[in-house]
Amino acid sequence: MSDKNTPFGFGRRRFLQGSALAAGALALPQFALAHGHTKKPSELIVRAWGGAWGESLKAGVADPFTAATGIPVRLDFTEDNEIKPKIWAAVDQGRVPPIHVNWDTTTNATISALRGATVDLGDLKGLDGLLSIAKPTGIDGWPLVNTYSYVYVCAYRPEAFPDGPPKSWRVMLDPKFKGRVALYDDGIGFNPIAVIAGGGTAADIPNNMEPAYAFYRDLKKNEPLLGEDADFTTWFQNGEIDIACTISVNARAAKQKGINVEWTVPQEGCKVDTDGLWIPKGLPENEEYWSKRFIEFAVTREAQEKWCSLLGLPPVFPGLEPPADLAGDPSYPTAPADFEKLVSVPSPILVENQPIWFAKFSEIMQG
Amino acid sequence: MTLAILQRTDRFVSVVWPSGLHGMNGYLFLLPAVALVFILVIALGYMLEFSLHELDLSTYRLKEAYSLTNYQTILDRPVYLRVLWRSLLAALIVTVITVFLAFPYAYLMVRTSSAATRKFLLVALFLPFFIGQVVRAYGWLIILGKQGLLNSILTGLGLPALDLIYNYPAVILGLVQYMLPFAVLLLTPAVAAISEDVELASESLGANWLQTFRHVVIPMATPGLVGSSVVVFTLTLTDFAMPEILGGGTSDFIANAIYDSYFQISNIGLGAALAILLTLIGSALVALMFMIAGTGTLAVTEAEE
Repeated sequence: MSDKNTPFGFGRRRFLQGSALAAGALALPQFALAHGHTKKPSELIVRAWGGAWGESLKAGVADPFTAATGIPVRLDFTEDNEIKPKIWAAVDQGRVPPIHVNWDTTTNATISALRGATVDLGDLKGLDGLLSIAKPTGIDGWPLVNTYSYVYVCAYRPEAFPDGPPKSWRVMLDPKFKGRVALYDDGIGFNPIAVIAGGGTAADIPNNMEPAYAFYRDLKKNEPLLGEDADFTTWFQNGEIDIACTISVNARAAKQKGINVEWTVPQEGCKVDTDGLWIPKGLPENEEYWSKRFIEFAVTREAQEKWCSLLGLPPVFPGLEPPADLAGDPSYPTAPADFEKLVSVPSPILVENQPIWFAKFSEIMQG
Repeated sequence: MTLAILQRTDRFVSVVWPSGLHGMNGYLFLLPAVALVFILVIALGYMLEFSLHELDLSTYRLKEAYSLTNYQTILDRPVYLRVLWRSLLAALIVTVITVFLAFPYAYLMVRTSSAATRKFLLVALFLPFFIGQVVRAYGWLIILGKQGLLNSILTGLGLPALDLIYNYPAVILGLVQYMLPFAVLLLTPAVAAISEDVELASESLGANWLQTFRHVVIPMATPGLVGSSVVVFTLTLTDFAMPEILGGGTSDFIANAIYDSYFQISNIGLGAALAILLTLIGSALVALMFMIAGTGTLAVTEAEE
């Protein structure tokens, strides 16, 4: 194909390139233009979870942020519990922390806030327009921004439940599922549900956890497996478990990979929780500035729509539609009636009691 | 050029380590060991200090006041004693099995007249060192898993699949496989130091192979047996990865409990107390083994005499 000169004196290819650049500049998100004067860091390091989690953050937030600002975003897949002491030590010793933004559970983020390791995010734009769950509870200011809610669903292998989804979590106690039940290795996501499954009520939390411990003692006889997010996918894939309490994201990702897994919210309900983003103290001023812009971008309509749709989780930006495969799914609460089926424990209670619950859970499961 | 570099190096050495200090050259060689122990002692000192402070759940920092709360917690919660006992038992079982398997391996490797066999045994010994512990643990998952190699064979034969992983025996199996090369490496010099003539002399005096093995080879290989036992025992006692990967979350060792305290519940004080306890128990048991069976490889000179 020829590339003849146009009447303007330059080639058609050059003209098309120029037009594309001009169009790109016009389409650049407003925040990128508004914050163009602060020195940009060579990269932003964002701690993230791997697998479907990291992929969604990359596609929904990191890549569009890079496109808008020119700042590369590197995802650091250090385990959330392992990055925590590294950040704390850096903050205490006045060193530059190892990451710019921490994608964390709200409970862990709140603990970091209690230690004084977090930067206040109250000056971020757009916070007022978010749902109320975006604001952390039981702590002053905005040491973190919650970005979505998620549900610890009852995931199961349909072949193991020919009569339909499990109606109660107590099915985990059935001897036919011996060695084929899985929970998180710290009991996270299941402690409040174990109270109800053990005969108690949500009102018993946190003062009377004995029903949960009784349930765990019964469950221990069924030799449950204890693991992390990635383990559940592997176990389902290898046909090593029939039922698990895991975050809906993992079950959905497994299903999308062709693993035969379904999920449900049994009659006792499921625990609903939130994750958030926060910035450790001690970053150079310009890096903290751009880290804030990253979080600001993560809660914009554009980022929330894509990120949370990929995760399959309800965002904190209001009015966004659920992905088609999750419309009406009980693990994707949108209406007040949906939340009635779920159990939410306020962060301050989780922060104060998680170590106690973990100790008891561990005592029973390691017996 | 080379000469100039050598001259400069010589001048630098004469400034840093003048000839008057040459009488202390021996101490210079001790420096790395002293530095290593020094760093270890400092770290242990910090850990001891941390272990004497309780966690304040309102700030997630250690309280200023000194207390024995963390040690009391370990004694009060049966889970820690249970996990400690599980670790000690595993260390004992793994040591016995590993040394039992390592001895014939080392013996064959030293005594074989076939160069090909020796090479094969050496390659088989060193190959696992190039593969990390975690990878080897995942290898066991592939072999022993529900849809793994062994269960595929069983189901192929019309037999029911077995639960071969995510339990204590699986952890022991993984550890034995991991420790075997260490034990062989520590046993081989001891076996190689036994002259074949001594065995021939024993047999010429009327002892059969078994009697020679029991009354000559084993006693002379004692330094290697003690050395390998101590190394395998301590490595197993402090292992983290095998129980983590092959234990299914319910066969934790004390190292896993320390990890949980540090990272899962952010209780550095409790984690430090568990670490101090593990160090004390491990050191005491090794000292006991030295007292009963001698100092192993440290007794090589005596054995040679």
